[in-house]
Amino acid sequence: MDSQHQGTTQHQFMVDAGAAPAGPASSNGHRRPAMPAAEFHASSEKILAAINKVIDGKAEAAKLALTVLLAQGHLLVEDVPGVGKTMLAKTLARSIDCGVSRIQFTPDLLPSDVTGVSIYNQSSRQFEFRKGAVFANIVIGDEINRASAKTQSALLECMEEHQVTVDGQSYKLAEPFMVVATQNPIEMEGTYPLPEAQRDRFMARISMGYPDQASEIEMLETHQAASPLAEVTPVVTADDVAAMISAVQRVYVSQAVKEYTVALGHATRNSARLRLGASPRSLLQLLRAAKATAALDGRDFVLPDDVVAVAEPVLAHRIILERKAAGAGDTPQGIIRAILAELPVSRDATADSRRG
Amino acid sequence: MSTQRGGAAVRERSGASPARGVAPRSRRPGPGAYPWAMAAAIAVGVIGASLSLNGVLRGWAWLFPVIITVGAVVLAMAVLRAMRAPAVLVTLGGLTALAFILCNTFLRKESIAGFIPGPASVKQAFVLFTRAGETVYAETAPVAPNAGIVLLSCLCLGLVVVLIDTLAVPLAMPATSGLGLLAVLVVPATIKPQGAGLAGFLAAAIGFILILGCAQWFAPDSRLPQGAGRAPGQLRRSVTLGAAALIAGLLLPLAVPGFDQGTFPVGSRLNPWGTTNGLNPMITLGNNLRTPSGDGRITYATSSSTPVYLRSVTIDRFEGESWAPDDRPSSRQLGTGQIVPGHPLPEDLVREQTVIDTGQFTSPYLPVPYTPAAVNGLNGRWSWDPLTLSIRGEDVTSRNQHYTVTSVFPRITAAALSQAGTTPSRDGGLPEEFSRVPGNLPEVVRSTAASVTAGVGNNFEKALAIQRYLRSGEFTYSLQAPVQGGYDGNGLSVLADFLAQKSGYCVHFASAMAVMSRVSGIPSRIAVGYAPGHPTGNTIAVGGREPLNEFAVDARDAHAWPELYFEGLGWVPFEPTPSRGSVPGYAADAPLPPGSGSNLNEDDVPLPNPTPQPSTSALPPAPLPEAGQGSGGSGLPGAVFILAGSLFAAALLASPRLLRSGIRARRLREVRAQSAETGAVSPALAWLELQDLARDYGHAAQPSETPRAFAAGLQAAVPSAHADDAGMRAVRALTGDFERHSYGRPAADAPAGGANRLASARLGEVRSMLRQGTTWLGRLRADWFPPSLFSRGFRTASAPFRRIARGVVRAGNWLRSTWRRALRPLRREN
Repeated sequence: MDSQHQGTTQHQFMVDAGAAPAGPASSNGHRRPAMPAAEFHASSEKILAAINKVIDGKAEAAKLALTVLLAQGHLLVEDVPGVGKTMLAKTLARSIDCGVSRIQFTPDLLPSDVTGVSIYNQSSRQFEFRKGAVFANIVIGDEINRASAKTQSALLECMEEHQVTVDGQSYKLAEPFMVVATQNPIEMEGTYPLPEAQRDRFMARISMGYPDQASEIEMLETHQAASPLAEVTPVVTADDVAAMISAVQRVYVSQAVKEYTVALGHATRNSARLRLGASPRSLLQLLRAAKATAALDGRDFVLPDDVVAVAEPVLAHRIILERKAAGAGDTPQGIIRAILAELPVSRDATADSRRG
Repeated sequence: MSTQRGGAAVRERSGASPARGVAPRSRRPGPGAYPWAMAAAIAVGVIGASLSLNGVLRGWAWLFPVIITVGAVVLAMAVLRAMRAPAVLVTLGGLTALAFILCNTFLRKESIAGFIPGPASVKQAFVLFTRAGETVYAETAPVAPNAGIVLLSCLCLGLVVVLIDTLAVPLAMPATSGLGLLAVLVVPATIKPQGAGLAGFLAAAIGFILILGCAQWFAPDSRLPQGAGRAPGQLRRSVTLGAAALIAGLLLPLAVPGFDQGTFPVGSRLNPWGTTNGLNPMITLGNNLRTPSGDGRITYATSSSTPVYLRSVTIDRFEGESWAPDDRPSSRQLGTGQIVPGHPLPEDLVREQTVIDTGQFTSPYLPVPYTPAAVNGLNGRWSWDPLTLSIRGEDVTSRNQHYTVTSVFPRITAAALSQAGTTPSRDGGLPEEFSRVPGNLPEVVRSTAASVTAGVGNNFEKALAIQRYLRSGEFTYSLQAPVQGGYDGNGLSVLADFLAQKSGYCVHFASAMAVMSRVSGIPSRIAVGYAPGHPTGNTIAVGGREPLNEFAVDARDAHAWPELYFEGLGWVPFEPTPSRGSVPGYAADAPLPPGSGSNLNEDDVPLPNPTPQPSTSALPPAPLPEAGQGSGGSGLPGAVFILAGSLFAAALLASPRLLRSGIRARRLREVRAQSAETGAVSPALAWLELQDLARDYGHAAQPSETPRAFAAGLQAAVPSAHADDAGMRAVRALTGDFERHSYGRPAADAPAGGANRLASARLGEVRSMLRQGTTWLGRLRADWFPPSLFSRGFRTASAPFRRIARGVVRAGNWLRSTWRRALRPLRREN
């Protein structure tokens, strides 16, 4: 739905945005009314406060998780065991009053465990579909790289198409729909690393990192008695989140920012240190994440700063380094930072039309 | 594997691009008719302005090369622009076309393939330029259109075309491009006696309006929103400007010393470098006489007991609007060791020697006493005309010449003249051109001549009658009357006016007598040179003889007098101008009231006259101050030049500051005007000013910095700035406005609570914050040498190099990828 949105010209977008507040109906079918800015701000603050209460010292990660949720993307949390990957996913899910399911991926997990299976009903003498774990608003896929490639693919297909097809029958998934997958670093034992093509489906990858000293001390203190997760109560409803998503979709993207985004993509493709640059899909997701960032910042238009802010988590897991660059100790994050430092920002939309 | 994927991505991108191409923004509109229309407008303007060069250059022969040159340059630039070449390339193309067309027109033989400049053509061009320099240096307008001067004119006009085009199109300052046309008009305005002329000015104005129109029609200024096109105060402002210019034009001439002719900018006679008495001394003579200070001082010492007239050149053709000397280049003879006149001289001659030092006097003609028999001690090659005995430099001027003239004086008496006057002039003795009466002679000249010489017998009597008539009380000597009466200059129509007004100066008296003598049947010509001048009090010893008295003449002694031909005696000078020079003894007239002239020789003795009173021979002309000679006269201009020079230097030093404050004032004014008019403005100007301000104080914005990052960097860079300072708050507000403007929804660009009215106040706060944050050195630099100004110029200048560097990098990348692709199969085989 929103991919069509991105493809429309700016003019149509404006007409869309103008017409939409009058009613939920639009050319794209069912659509919820956008949340007003003040309410949006309050809701996002509440969600972030709830997450930060559980996970100490990880405000950035929390904000990014919310950004991905509002941008209708999927989140990949990658880090060593025990730094709170699953905790983050669970907290985000619980702070929203919506359907949550959790899949613990193991090598013997089958695709039907994820998507659901048709079972023969003796009484009605018919096959009936039993929904799998994926039928929820937020799906937590724990240690996704422990499952076999086949099972991984089943989940990834759901992520992309927001629907499940079993026995020729398609079942729509709930909206909003977000997969938060966690994975251990690929070098660890018993893992099946996600191929590049499948990593590309995740909007952003974050790594939690170790908390700083003060946060860790506080964590030791507060998390002794009971799981802090138990205290988390939903602060917003699923409908609220849908309205917030709708508001994010209406964030305005100027020509200058589009040009900046495309220039960033081109720079990664032309970089001598990269074997594989950012794909067009990644740019699409980059811009969507930037829109969500702008909305969380209380703006109804995207700045180049928003693109810069999400460029690292959105692009770093998709690009592949040249062997020489990897040997020299470059990281994808470092290369993206270097590219951003050299990429000129078109400050004025009119400045370019004068040239030539 | 990865290459395949890369290929797929490329295909995907290229597949997507046609769909995106539907959006109107991605396709640049073609240049259309713009280059051609602009080229035509510039050509009209420049060729039109060059029309006013007629009068600076003689005739119209120069116009064709000018049209060819301007046309070629304009066409080359238009073609390049139509092909969407980058701006720098268009300008370079124009310059190349200029070089080609100049080579093809002027240096075809020396150039490679007839139009490509080579070493030989450069050498030849240098020769031509040297000739042009000599022409400019030594001659006065109108100069003959020789190859050098026309090449120079074409080169300058071609450069003006490139300048106008560069200003009007890539720099988008069409109004400023009028400077180029003005530069063309300034030349005739300062050189031609009657200014630039209406036709040339009108043509230039039309061209300028066309340029403005083209620029407005095809490329309205894209930097500013369209709303600001017509400010309400425009009419008032233009009226004020026009009135101020008019008042300045009327008042300034009163303050300029020596300005007494024409309307201010075009009729200017202010020439701080002194006048050159050039190719056509008849034209400059009146101006020379009117100079307040004596320029071109010549000193001479003569063995003659009376001061002598120094003669430069003669005018002998009285046809045409403006008289000019005829050089007769075919019959001139080189070498001044022995000069033989073309007509027989009487046997009874007095030889005299005169030592002359010309000093700063610059002219192609050598001032010598008549009749020169030999001139020694000259530098350079000189030639003389047997008919007129005018001596002209072939490759030198009279500047800084020191020479000795041996001259012969026939013993002329009234009786001898009377006798010669009765014998009719024989044919063959003198060319017919000296007695030819011009065909378009005004009737008043003929009738006056007839009435004056009525009842007079021989030629000498006639000559005396004409001289008496001109020296009578009916005529008054005046330098100003011809200017006010509109007949300053020379020519037959001027002569008619003079005879009617009966007021003028030596040129008019001399030409009146010369023409009336011809009408009366006496061969005549006008000699141009110097009246005797005044003694300096010094003496000069020459060649073991007794010391000679030294005399000095300068521009105020410039003089013209008639020479009449009498058979057997040769050319005899007369003096019809009252109060100037001295009437020769033979021509002194009994009825002449004594004392009316300053003539020295009252008695009827021959010219070599041992009267020991040479000092009062030539009184300075009446309207001129007596003290204005020598160093006293040059003291004042020296001070003026020092003052003007220091003012200029000060202006040059202050110009970056003035320019910078001008830019700031313009931006703030536009910000204010926009917010007053529409309410919705672009904060882009305020942002631009903020960036320049930061750059002035050493915090330049990096191209990769977002506005927000720039603002944050500014805070970090200014040590004294706190986040809640007024200055930092202003920076954040300006940044926010600009972000909203640049990246926000176009419809939502509504006035944010009069924020833009505050823009100037905010910029002021930022400025004071930045000033506090820097040392006095930094403040000094920001005020007097603002880096923002220079970096802009540098950016413009370095643009082509950046482009080249980018191309090199791209080529390198391409080569590397090709190399890798070529190597890959080999690697696989291994």
